[in-house]
Amino acid sequence: MNLSQAILVFVVLAPGVVFAVFALLWLLGWSPGERLLSWITGLTFTACMFGTAALVWTITSGSTVTVAFGNWFAVGDYHFPLVLIGDRLSLPFLALAVVLSGLIAQFSATYLHREPGFLRFFLLLHLFAFGSLVAFAAGSFDLLAAGWEVVGITSVLLIGFFQLRPAPVENGLRVFGIYRACDIGLFVGVFAMHHWAGRASFDGGFPTLTGTRALIVCLLLLLAAAGKAAQVPFSGWLPRAMEGPTPSSAIFYGAISIHAGAYLLLRAQPLLAHSALASALVILIGLTTAIHGTIVGRASADAKTSLAYATLTQVGLVFIEIGFGWKWLAVVHILGNATLRTMQFLRAPSMLHDYHQMHSAIGGGEVSATGQGIEGLFPERVQLWLYRWAFDRGHLDTILDRWVIDPLLQASSSFAKLDRIGVSRITVRRGNVACISLHGPTKQGND
Amino acid sequence: MSVPGWVLHKTLLTNVSIGVPWFAAVLASGYRRHARTVGCIAAFASIIASAVLLAEAPKGDSLYQALMLLFSCLTFGAILLLPRRDCTTATMAGILFLLGSTLLAYSTGNLLVLLAAWILSIVPFLWTGWFRARAWRPLAALLLSSLSLALAVGLISTRTGIISISNLKGQSPGGVVAFGLLVIAVILRKGICPAHAWVADAADTGPAIPTALLFNGHFGALLVAKLIVPLFPFTDSLFPVLSYLAILTALYVAVRGLAENSPRRLLAFLALSQSACILSGLESRTAEGIAGAIVNWFVVAISTVALFGILRLLEVRFGENLTASKHLSLAEHAPRLAVSFVIFGLALVGLPGTLGFCSQDLLIHGALTSHRLIGLLLPIATAMNAISVFRLFTRLFLGKRRTGFTVMADALPRERWILASGVLFVVFGGLFPNAVVIQRSSEADLVQEAIHTGVDLNSIGKVDGPPEKRPIAATP
Repeated sequence: MNLSQAILVFVVLAPGVVFAVFALLWLLGWSPGERLLSWITGLTFTACMFGTAALVWTITSGSTVTVAFGNWFAVGDYHFPLVLIGDRLSLPFLALAVVLSGLIAQFSATYLHREPGFLRFFLLLHLFAFGSLVAFAAGSFDLLAAGWEVVGITSVLLIGFFQLRPAPVENGLRVFGIYRACDIGLFVGVFAMHHWAGRASFDGGFPTLTGTRALIVCLLLLLAAAGKAAQVPFSGWLPRAMEGPTPSSAIFYGAISIHAGAYLLLRAQPLLAHSALASALVILIGLTTAIHGTIVGRASADAKTSLAYATLTQVGLVFIEIGFGWKWLAVVHILGNATLRTMQFLRAPSMLHDYHQMHSAIGGGEVSATGQGIEGLFPERVQLWLYRWAFDRGHLDTILDRWVIDPLLQASSSFAKLDRIGVSRITVRRGNVACISLHGPTKQGND
Repeated sequence: MSVPGWVLHKTLLTNVSIGVPWFAAVLASGYRRHARTVGCIAAFASIIASAVLLAEAPKGDSLYQALMLLFSCLTFGAILLLPRRDCTTATMAGILFLLGSTLLAYSTGNLLVLLAAWILSIVPFLWTGWFRARAWRPLAALLLSSLSLALAVGLISTRTGIISISNLKGQSPGGVVAFGLLVIAVILRKGICPAHAWVADAADTGPAIPTALLFNGHFGALLVAKLIVPLFPFTDSLFPVLSYLAILTALYVAVRGLAENSPRRLLAFLALSQSACILSGLESRTAEGIAGAIVNWFVVAISTVALFGILRLLEVRFGENLTASKHLSLAEHAPRLAVSFVIFGLALVGLPGTLGFCSQDLLIHGALTSHRLIGLLLPIATAMNAISVFRLFTRLFLGKRRTGFTVMADALPRERWILASGVLFVVFGGLFPNAVVIQRSSEADLVQEAIHTGVDLNSIGKVDGPPEKRPIAATP
């Protein structure tokens, strides 16, 4: 293993090791103080930043850093390759994840000072950083799926960070459900690659698939990407995710997590190139999401939700760029959007202060709202209809409830009735079946 | 210092692993004091004997020794997790009796002994003084499964005059009738649809931890691995029926769990759904599916016993009116129980970084390879189970500020150490899965070869070099 490979391994593993050590110590009964935790976190991410910078310097010469650990596990002809790769696509994302995680950690040390869940937040931040670094540095779709899942679970646990209130917890459950449903596409897509191409790694050439097989795999990956990136029709979870603390909203839904779907499609670009239909579908979904995001964002009453929809609009545009095959434009767009949104999310709690500063800076005049001119182009009836549509967030949650969740719960209740045939009520001690699951108490975002 | 040869003798070690728990069960009933200590010592003796058996077993032929070690460890953990309220001499005697019977079933190569072990394992669940559930369905299912197995064994032994399993391999003894009776026994004992409801009834109206141990003996899967696969390799048209039923059970029970608010019933559905995957993996006829099934056996057993154990601890401390219909927010008072619960729960449904991820990955590949469309139901069922696990976790542990009481104990040191051991196993098993998967994959190769060729399992392991693999497409 040469120096570049060692640095890549260090950058990916460091947050995971910090998480594992602190989690184990906590399980054994020891909790670190805030200062120690912040100091070690800062040190870790600073070291990772220098490491990433060194890797970026290395690949400017055109070489790709690859570390193969062999197979994580192998049975018969099937194997799970453990390969990390630092190339021109993964390194910008690694740098983004490391820099933003470090910044968020520094910000949170003050923002969450004396918060009861301070340790929990930092542990989950490290786990998230580890998961996202694994996903971005993965040399195969198998490993990418593992990192992808870790990002998902940490995201959900941070949405429910304020665990003594029901709304964040229930909204976390809702997000978890959508993530898991869409991740089926990733797992089945990876299986299809193994089955048809014999492998799912992109180290040393992309799995060769054409025609219908390429289309099927692309559609499965698109399902996973659309779920993670909150694209239409899965956008309903995004405002619910704003229940988490602001720093986690910034890094997850302003920067890393929401762009992970776009990264998956960028990785699958060679496959998309073989399927015009899949590319067209990516463009269609991106376009629909961009329009949906910009309309709904204008009717959002709270700062974080409107910022989330602004991010969503841009991610929709990124999908369009990926669909057209403009890979590097999409990468630059993601980097710019992620950085800007992180800053905006972190400033969101001080929005009124910022507004007053701007108000003074322009000499006391009124700060104009963006897009007023465009809205004026529509007749009043259409404006009203659009407002209703935007206020209910495109009715996406209603559609999901009516066509997916309610039928599932009804089926579950019917099965419960079937199960109770021949059983007296006395013997069923806890047979308290009810249909209140999965619907959160609120569909609104954070206030 | 060298160990005398007779100490390592297989028969002696097997007798120790089975006999000590039975002797301790009698001792616990008679002595009526220090029940937990007696139970721990007996289970620990089984662990040592099983571990030595596993170490001495040849590579590729160590599945049942590994299962013996697993069940001994599970019982040891369950005994330590038992709340003081439940730790009576009757409970301890029942658990030790179950341990001995289960190890007997794992270790035997004789049809009649297998039948005896099968029946003995349900004995504690037939009497009200031990673990009998208040509902009638568990009793009926356990008795009918035993009857079905007894008929199958009777038919096989009268038709062939042979009671040694190794001598019957590949012969389809008793024909379709015996095969059908064995499948019925599996369906009833394993809780495959439409005979699934008894498991939830048993978990709900019986003692939680002993029921979890009974279920995690996985006698149904054992019957498939020990009798159905090696004895009936040519029943290609009939065998997938069991797999389809298993996959449909996984999905049906996963849907059933979505609106279930009783934590015990919900955990039973989760255990049922995830363990149904074991059968579909064993039947998938692919090395990855079979290896995934065996690894999943380990994951399901450890996770569900731990989850039932944690639930029982919560019931003892908080009251038995736990429900998933509202937020109870117990994490505020029992954070370590909450963390253990979420780790075991997510390991059960395949969280990356746990052994469950590897087993699910292998199982899904195996199921999709063998049944392209029906196999799709498996990841869907797992996704629904994940939602149910997370829902149960959030409802039990999160959601509101508790004001009704001020003190509720978190995991006691005894419970903390045993839960931490389980967590370490599933996490280290997930980080370094090859340690577990390689061992199981060689056994999976053997089972796969047996399905494809119908030859004696023992003869495969004795040839020089690895057995030549036959492509799946070439299967008749």
